[in-house]
Amino acid sequence: MRINVRFAGSGGQGVILASVLLSKAYGLEENYNIAQTQSYGPEARGGACKAEVVISDEEIDYMKVNKADVFVALNQVGYDKYIDTVKDDAVILINSTLVEADRPNVYKIQATQRAEDMGKPFVVNIIALGALTRLMPKVHYPAVEEEIKRHFNASIASANLDAYKMGYDIMDQDLKELGYKTGFGDARTY
Amino acid sequence: MAAKESKLNEVVLQGNEACAKGALYAGCRFFAGYPITPSTEIIEMMSGEMQKAGGAFIQMEDEIGSACAIIGARWGGSKAMTATSGPGYTLMQEAIGFAAVTETPIVIVNVQRGGPSTGQPTLSSQQDVYQARYGSHGDYEIIVLAPSSVQEMYDFTVRAFELAEQYRTPVILLADEVVGHMREKIVIKDGSKNIKSVKQQYVVSPQADFFKGEFTTVEGQLHDEQGRRIGHIANKSGEFIYNINKKITDNIDGIADITTYCMEDADVAIVAYGSVARPALNAVKHARGVKDDRIAPKFKIVKDLMTRGIQKTIKTDYSHLKVGLVKINSVWPIPEDLLRQATERVDTVIVPEMNVGKYCREVERVLKDKKVIPMSKCGGDIHTPIEILDKILEVTGIEEEVDINE
Repeated sequence: MRINVRFAGSGGQGVILASVLLSKAYGLEENYNIAQTQSYGPEARGGACKAEVVISDEEIDYMKVNKADVFVALNQVGYDKYIDTVKDDAVILINSTLVEADRPNVYKIQATQRAEDMGKPFVVNIIALGALTRLMPKVHYPAVEEEIKRHFNASIASANLDAYKMGYDIMDQDLKELGYKTGFGDARTY
Repeated sequence: MAAKESKLNEVVLQGNEACAKGALYAGCRFFAGYPITPSTEIIEMMSGEMQKAGGAFIQMEDEIGSACAIIGARWGGSKAMTATSGPGYTLMQEAIGFAAVTETPIVIVNVQRGGPSTGQPTLSSQQDVYQARYGSHGDYEIIVLAPSSVQEMYDFTVRAFELAEQYRTPVILLADEVVGHMREKIVIKDGSKNIKSVKQQYVVSPQADFFKGEFTTVEGQLHDEQGRRIGHIANKSGEFIYNINKKITDNIDGIADITTYCMEDADVAIVAYGSVARPALNAVKHARGVKDDRIAPKFKIVKDLMTRGIQKTIKTDYSHLKVGLVKINSVWPIPEDLLRQATERVDTVIVPEMNVGKYCREVERVLKDKKVIPMSKCGGDIHTPIEILDKILEVTGIEEEVDINE
């Protein structure tokens, strides 16, 4: 099993942190091998940002993602740049506040809108991570929850845990309507 | 300090953080540095952890100061390290020469980014592979290790401290942005390793027992065992130069380190170091059919069928391709004997590297009787397995489009 996950967005949206939390959940809580890499420009905010996670039950040789099994786009530029390098049966999750998808069968989460409604615009990535966790195979809700608790100071952990739960629950509802166990639906079973 | 027996811990760390942890485990208790992307996380972690370990951390005014400070710290009795990237590494060259001539065991980490000059702060390269060896002036040999995983960032840092003490020399850990910023699950040890300084026959500088209290001279001019200048005496100076080189070249067996995959029956070898060894291994596995299920069907259009408007898909079996990988862990001095032994039955060698093609020249020198094919890539991206597989097919005379569906 090898799952290639790619996150794309803009510097400051928390793209890399979302990928780190996901990789730690798989690596430390679910006991898979992981490799997490990223690429970004010299800017601290803005500019294209990409993060990748490879999850495998074998030793990971190539640590980057060639064609993604799972693609998360937090902004339009990121979506446009990487949408052509996903597999045919890939799970695609978009931040539908900022991204318009040019294809059907895309999972949507209003991450930016929901974060602003919460009055906590910085949790965009964690809302998306919640939705993504629901879509992913071989990872359980508490695994990512544990990593969120471990990463954040107590003062902001609760906002992030709320955001995580919100994203997870919304996607859970969507998947129930579709009758799917994971985001891969009937295309793949793990 | 007695070595506390160590417990193993599984953690997810960034390569740079693993390097800092490795240094602390190896007994490094002095760190001086100046932050620079993509090595900053080493300095960041050291600034917090060093105090907890009872050592000293200084953020210096620049990289020249950093390199000089760790030389002073080592003569003062602490195992010492600094970390930087290309532009800072350039500034350190004078001090590296001084450390080589005074035979000071220090560890310098260069997490390579794209150059020349300020270059590409956030992207990767292997452009400093020659500078690591030839950076400072004069005749000296130096040890350079190139990690290709987060675990190796940890292990090779510990090894760097061991080699530095054993051969009384600066050791360079030549990482790159990919391996420095990558996170992986690794095993680290608690406690610290007791790495002892070794008195060595070749060492010509004062071999004072650190911390015992001894009057000595640390001298950048060529000197004798008491540190007295001998630069004006030709025969003694010549002996000095030969000795500081021989202590590395005569002990190459104890330093040389390579890892081989599928080389037993290989006709073609890929020789790679650092992070590029990872996609190279993936390409070898594909060529060997280990990952056959993951090779997407190759769309080979058969000509006579095409004329009738029919396209046929043929799944190609590459298992007849006898390709192997030689991963060079100790880049300098180049492990000549090991490399020759590993590639004995091979006639073609491909050398992928993230620069204009540098180390391939050294490989060519060592493997004179073989066809050495450079595979350069500049711009900041690491080679992909597809590119390497393409090259393998090209040199083996198979013309086909490849696609790896993973």
